[in-house]
Amino acid sequence: MAGFILKRLLQAVFVVLAVTLIVSFAIRLSGDPAVMLVGGAGSVSEQDLQNIRQALGLERPFYVQYFSFLEGILTGDFGKSFMGGTPVSLLIKNALPATLLLAFASLITSIILSVPLGIYAAVNRGRWPDQAIRILSLVGLSFPNFWLAIMMVLFFSIMLGLLPPSGMEGPESFVMPALTMAIILTATNVRLVRTSMLETLSQQYIMVARSKGLRDRVVLYKHALRNSAIPLVTYIGLQFGGLIGGIVIIERVFNWPGMGTLAFDAIANRDYPVLQGTITVLALFIVLINLLVDIAYGLIDPRIRTE
Amino acid sequence: MKFSTTIKALGLTAAVVLAPLMASGAQAAGTITVATTIDPGSWDPIDTFIVPWSSAANNIYDGLTSRGPDMKLQPALATSWEFLDNNNRIRFKLRQNVKFHNGEPFNAAAVKFTFDRLLGDEGKKGPQQSNYTSITKVEIVDDYTVDFIMKQPDPVLLTKLAGYGGMIVPPKYIQEKGDAYFNLNPVGTGPFKFVEYTPKVNLVLEAFPEHWAGAPKLDKVVTRFIPEANTQVAELQAGRVDVATLIPFGLAPTVEKSPNLTLVSITGPTVVSLRLNTKEGITKDVNVRKALIMGVDRDAIIKAVLLGHGKPIASFQSDLSFGNDPAMKPLPFDLAKAKQMLQQAGVQPGAPVRIDFRGNDATFREVAQAAAGYFQALGLKPAVQPHEVSVLLNDIIPNGKTGEAWHNAWGGWTFDYDNTAYLMYHSGEKWNPYDNDPKLNALLEKQRTMYDVKEREKVLQEVARYVADQALEIPLYNQNTVIGVNKRVKNFVPPADLRFRFNDVTVE
Repeated sequence: MAGFILKRLLQAVFVVLAVTLIVSFAIRLSGDPAVMLVGGAGSVSEQDLQNIRQALGLERPFYVQYFSFLEGILTGDFGKSFMGGTPVSLLIKNALPATLLLAFASLITSIILSVPLGIYAAVNRGRWPDQAIRILSLVGLSFPNFWLAIMMVLFFSIMLGLLPPSGMEGPESFVMPALTMAIILTATNVRLVRTSMLETLSQQYIMVARSKGLRDRVVLYKHALRNSAIPLVTYIGLQFGGLIGGIVIIERVFNWPGMGTLAFDAIANRDYPVLQGTITVLALFIVLINLLVDIAYGLIDPRIRTE
Repeated sequence: MKFSTTIKALGLTAAVVLAPLMASGAQAAGTITVATTIDPGSWDPIDTFIVPWSSAANNIYDGLTSRGPDMKLQPALATSWEFLDNNNRIRFKLRQNVKFHNGEPFNAAAVKFTFDRLLGDEGKKGPQQSNYTSITKVEIVDDYTVDFIMKQPDPVLLTKLAGYGGMIVPPKYIQEKGDAYFNLNPVGTGPFKFVEYTPKVNLVLEAFPEHWAGAPKLDKVVTRFIPEANTQVAELQAGRVDVATLIPFGLAPTVEKSPNLTLVSITGPTVVSLRLNTKEGITKDVNVRKALIMGVDRDAIIKAVLLGHGKPIASFQSDLSFGNDPAMKPLPFDLAKAKQMLQQAGVQPGAPVRIDFRGNDATFREVAQAAAGYFQALGLKPAVQPHEVSVLLNDIIPNGKTGEAWHNAWGGWTFDYDNTAYLMYHSGEKWNPYDNDPKLNALLEKQRTMYDVKEREKVLQEVARYVADQALEIPLYNQNTVIGVNKRVKNFVPPADLRFRFNDVTVE
């Protein structure tokens, strides 16, 4: 196990390094931060732009900029934002918990919704509850998430006046963004739980369990669910990684002060240090989660543990 | 059913979670909440160029002069000024008994420190320095008198001292705490003082009762950074934001229809035109350029695309701009005449006209399509080409790679045509890739040395007429500044430049 984790950790370092290199390189292809900084307006001469570039350290060759960024990471210093010089570490410190909390809330909500619904559909295969759940999940899959978000704001905030339309203020702020994400996740997860459950239920050991006279409940929860959980854990683990990265639109609509907002603004402003810092941290998280998923397999299925 | 209990429980949980949540909607009395688009990241006056900085920071700082919603210049930290030594020296008398929020006194040393910093190495790193390079240095005459020694005349200087880089900062505070600290914990002499700043979330200010113009009537000013227009409008409708600064034309009717909201649509600084390529293509010919101007119905565009929130322009400036000539009229829309002119100029039917524009500008995308429609009606073959903003501004325009026409949008907060015209039409400037007209250059240079307001205005008007005569662009419209305001806000006169100042504002 220790060897396995060590190997994966080494891989992780390599992946994160590759990500930082690609991001640092790609953003530099896309425009001049000095111009973005002055908004393309006003009486700004080429000399002024040159001064700004120099102050931002942009006139140095790419590899120098990149290595000084790497050096910064090792010492915990992600540099300063081009927009106003706020330390990137401060921005990330504020934004990371917001994103993790939202991703976590979305995932939990989705699991709470999808596991019982999926099992229910599997047990009632072919009958109307199954059909209804499958149709609902198709509808859920077809929603563009930003549209769903805006509809929720219209309904809960403007029409009912129940929830704040944006921002992260109290527990009530979580309801709409988490629910939006959860509904879309649930749409896929329900199908996954259902399929996986159906497959398990057709196994011989289930028949054996049933023929031993075990109660339905015991068969379902103790025998079937645990065995169906492996693909689910893999998928949900990957989803969590995807969630952290893919939360951008939702964060934007709900003005959620998280990593997505940070990355979005950084791209728009060509704020290299902020983007590099944000993506590096996100990459670290995704790699870490994948590692945890691999370890979790072992806990669920002892057969995998030894390999 | 075995699982019906589970589902019931789930439904119940959802109901329990949702039910007790009453919107924290109602605002505290005495607090105004403003939604701006971008978090400037730093509250230091020398670091920024963006309007949202000023929307908030105009309450923290004062300049030597100030400019209210009526766009008229008034004394602020300077009570009077006079021009000496053949305009090479401007002497300011400073207001006495003024304190910074940290208790530090405002005096001549603070003014000198502010401009030494702006014009020195610290200012070099930011975008503000270039606006103030006409100043050589600031000299202290006595504790409450300073002289600005000028490198060259700058008729717009007094306006520039009313905002952005000209805001006066506290010397002792910055020297003690350092620049990085000041960025995040600003101190000025303005009517509201800094309380708290959460990057990407909000900036909270509270009243500074000892302000020289009297204590403000509000307790707090909260600025929230909300980049998405839909979200700003939702927050406005929910009553959690009192002033929303980003209302796209399409959402204006929503705000207008809400009983508790007012839609404010006022003349703003932004002007939009289609600049024409005078070097290549059919637009090389001045008569063709004039024909294109006459072929586009700007009134229809304003009505259909801008939903009426704009005005047609005759030159590339708003009617608030110094140098605007109200008597000047644009060439009229006349499709038949335009067609005839094209024919006379020998333009073949199906000749290409490409419009390059900023791809992120959804409004202009529609305008470009409308313009293309008119060009097609003239028998030409139009194409609309969206670009990434920085590519268009850094490469395509300055390097003269544009099509026949390109999207020009401009809005200087100084409302002085000089700022626009010089950069647009003087040879060698970034925004003028194709022309080198000695006559235009001479006019533009001449007005920069003039302090006589009336005379300078005349020259600027001459510039505008000359540009129209040369048909360098298709002047389109002056876009309104559109904001949404909750009706509980009283005594609020919205300024066209969005540089809010909430001294006299109250909320119910």
